[in-house]
Amino acid sequence: MADIELQQVEKRFDEMFAVRPLDLTIKDGEFVALLGPSGCGKTTTLRMIAGLETTSGGRIILNGKDVTRLKPSERDVAMVFQFFALYPHLTTRENIAFPLQAEGETKSNIEQRVREVAAMLRVEPLLKLRPGSLSSGDQQRVALARALVRRPACFLMDEPLGALDADFRESMRSEIKHLHLQQKGTTVYVTHDQIEAMAMADRIVVMNQGEVQQVGTPAEVYHTPRNLFVARFIGSPGMNLVRGVWAGDHVSLPLDNRYKLPAQWQAALYGVPAENGITIGFRTEDVLLRADGPLAGTVISAGLLGSFTMLAIDLGDGQSIIEARVSRDMRVSAGDHVRFDLKPDMVRVFDSKTERAIQPA
Amino acid sequence: MAANPVVFATRVDKVGARAQFSRAVRIVLVVAYAVISMIPIFWMVTAAFKSRPDVLAIPPKVAFEPTLEGIVSLLTKRSVIPPGQEDQYRNRPDLGLFDRIMIERGQVITGPSQYTQRLLNSVIVAGISTILSVALGVLAAYAFSRFDVPGKGDWLFFILSTRMLPAVVVTIPIFLMYQQLRLYDTHLGLILLYTTFNLSFSVWLLKGFIDEIPKEYEEAALVDGYSRMQAFRKVVLPQAVTGIAATFVFCFIFAWNEFAFALMLTSERARTAPPSIPTMLGTGGIEWAAIAAGTLGFLIPVIIITFALRDYLLRGVTFGALRK
Amino acid sequence: MELSQSHTTRPRRRHLSDAQIQFLFIAPTIILLVLMNIFPLFYSLYLSFTEFSVIKPNNPPLWVGLQNYQNILRDEETWKYFALTGRYVLLSVALQTLVGFGLAMLLRERFKGNGLITTIILIPIMMSPVVIGLFWKLIYNPAFGIFNYLLGYATPNSGPDWLGTASRALWAVIIVDVWMWSPFVMLLCLSGLKAIPDYLYEAASIDRANSWFQFRRITLPQVAPLLLIAVLFRTIEAFKTFDLVMGLTGGGPGDSTELIAVNLYRAAFQRFATGESSAYAYIVLVIIIAISNLYVRQLNRARGE
Repeated sequence: MADIELQQVEKRFDEMFAVRPLDLTIKDGEFVALLGPSGCGKTTTLRMIAGLETTSGGRIILNGKDVTRLKPSERDVAMVFQFFALYPHLTTRENIAFPLQAEGETKSNIEQRVREVAAMLRVEPLLKLRPGSLSSGDQQRVALARALVRRPACFLMDEPLGALDADFRESMRSEIKHLHLQQKGTTVYVTHDQIEAMAMADRIVVMNQGEVQQVGTPAEVYHTPRNLFVARFIGSPGMNLVRGVWAGDHVSLPLDNRYKLPAQWQAALYGVPAENGITIGFRTEDVLLRADGPLAGTVISAGLLGSFTMLAIDLGDGQSIIEARVSRDMRVSAGDHVRFDLKPDMVRVFDSKTERAIQPA
Repeated sequence: MAANPVVFATRVDKVGARAQFSRAVRIVLVVAYAVISMIPIFWMVTAAFKSRPDVLAIPPKVAFEPTLEGIVSLLTKRSVIPPGQEDQYRNRPDLGLFDRIMIERGQVITGPSQYTQRLLNSVIVAGISTILSVALGVLAAYAFSRFDVPGKGDWLFFILSTRMLPAVVVTIPIFLMYQQLRLYDTHLGLILLYTTFNLSFSVWLLKGFIDEIPKEYEEAALVDGYSRMQAFRKVVLPQAVTGIAATFVFCFIFAWNEFAFALMLTSERARTAPPSIPTMLGTGGIEWAAIAAGTLGFLIPVIIITFALRDYLLRGVTFGALRK
Repeated sequence: MELSQSHTTRPRRRHLSDAQIQFLFIAPTIILLVLMNIFPLFYSLYLSFTEFSVIKPNNPPLWVGLQNYQNILRDEETWKYFALTGRYVLLSVALQTLVGFGLAMLLRERFKGNGLITTIILIPIMMSPVVIGLFWKLIYNPAFGIFNYLLGYATPNSGPDWLGTASRALWAVIIVDVWMWSPFVMLLCLSGLKAIPDYLYEAASIDRANSWFQFRRITLPQVAPLLLIAVLFRTIEAFKTFDLVMGLTGGGPGDSTELIAVNLYRAAFQRFATGESSAYAYIVLVIIIAISNLYVRQLNRARGE
């Protein structure tokens, strides 16, 4: 297994940037997720690593070797595609054997390897079947087996769970993670589903419109998003973001709400131009309903979601609506006026104009 | 896939010098084939507009003075002007363009040629039979598409297989039939036959088109109180218009080009153009430009139509079974 | 409770039921087909067991059992023509397949004007075979046709007489047939090739398969069903070849291009041996039905995918 290094890798189409110059180092054995909405450049980046896409600039180093100009077949990577890319006219066994046959391996070696990998992915009963008669989950497992059979330097996965039926998705997710822990293979995983990324990755690269927004562990991107995009994108639901004005010692929020920021923010906020405005962010689970809380609003909806109740609270101007996760025993209904507070060390502050997070002193 | 602005995947192994070279070679080869395969057609088209000596020239004349001689001699009957009377004819007041051309060659036009009449027969027979086969075809295609007709698969197979019959097998008994019914050498006889043969084609082709119109539209109409017939007329037919048009053209081309049946089932009155063409070679003093002009009448529409129908061609040649 | 009155002012019309419509829509087609196809087919079958000539109507058909069939199958000439036709079909279809498939592989390349070139190449298949036969007759003419000229014979009459020499005539026909129908094979192969998703090749190149391996294990198997359809269809049609030969050679010189369909025509419409030619036609029919069967089955298989 190997390191992957991207140095100033970019992809341009005439004037348009599909991927802005990107630096990234992936350590041997790491599971890195490229996460972002459609069109953010994550797939293009993955394909550049694979060699399926040329780079407009920068270098790609695989295991110490500069592979930027090399063909996919010369790079020693394996890829799992969203639509499986299984050869429809070949049986499972033949599909898995394909890469080894292409390399000219001996028949007995191929036999043995196919058996090993089929056992690993539990597809032995399917060996004689064609992809057309397999369920989507099984097809993806066969695709994984095909990727594993060569023992490549790294695994590239392009939204592998995207084409699966919902029930398969969760189980395949843990299977892939389990495989990763077993094989300890360097893995680059593209997805638009932040739950997947959060659950599986060692580190997440959040991308939007060709630009990297943040690189960090799941905990980092969840608790300390670097900008508004990451704050909104990560978490289900995303972070609550309320625009306000910094008024010296508190933030003025819609409809007479005033929130006093903890001390560590005061110093940092002096550097922010007043006209930019402030956005505070907080997660749904960091809202504390309290009769003596500093903030107030009207409940628009209250839904019991099993282990907790989710409230939508309007701060008063009809536009600033936040979501709050409260205990399921809480008796609150639409129309109620509530008061609440926020967990002080979980509050985040952003510059409304630059959208960047403001770091506390 | 993601909404990428990617138009062509630019794979690393496809942009190298070697890849570009082999790509260029491939393009050159295929363009060369296209050009070569057009040479016969091109030559024929120009031959239609050449004067007699020009047509026969070797090396072939690429630059020549165009003339309508060939076309005129194809479409008209002429007789030779007796020597010494040329001026008499030349000075007549009511000369049309065609007349003038022929007088230059020492001939006077005496009326439309047999070919003109044959051409007319072709138009009548092909036109009417196509209308019939498309009309009946769309009805049958609709029924097969929407309903679970008992024995549907068998009926459809039967319809397709009629197209597989060689013309000669069917012709002998039909020849006899027609003799009895006095349909031999009539427009009606050919029309009936062409309609039948085009039917199998048009049913399959149209069924393919109608299959693609979502049933939901008719179902909505039925729920709204329309009868099945009305739903068919108001909902399905308008949406099937392109398919119907394409089918119409394919059927017309087949009927227009048809040779074997026309040859065997007609002689003087109802004969269409295709069987007439080879017989034009029989007489001495072969008018090659006229023949070229005759074939022109067949080529030009076809070329235009091929361009127009190129997106439907795959469906057309496989009876609507396959689409791109 | 009062029902809505809105519809009672209009007289209620009886609408056709679904079952009636099915019948109404399909019946005319079936009737026509039966009248013009099935009935003649059976009549023809009957005639094949008789001795009859349509120009001698005073002698009604005389039942002779299998004699017509025996005569035909025992006749050496028949087998000669069958062999000739067989040779023609084999050579022509093989060449068409090669050229057509080759063209399709070339046309996969994405380039400007690809659509135009494809359409130009497709023109021959839409034309009337007899008309094509005719103008190729001009082209093959040794005195002023351009075929010899393009082959390098610069002066008139210096090159071979293609249609006039028994040994060359069949090849002349084959060349025209290949010119006409390779585009058909190309069309089918092209659509098959285009249907192969790019990601299969991407996966294969990541799996380190070289071009030849990819061609053998991905391209060929995927195109094979359509290629088969094309080959079967062309085989059926090649057996039936009539128009082209009539326009080009009329069966000559001598009988060097006397394909089955032409021979059959002569028997029926020149010698007027009606009974015998019916038997002849039936023998040909059986062969064609056998191949057609394969064709239709392959067609259905490809549609089902």
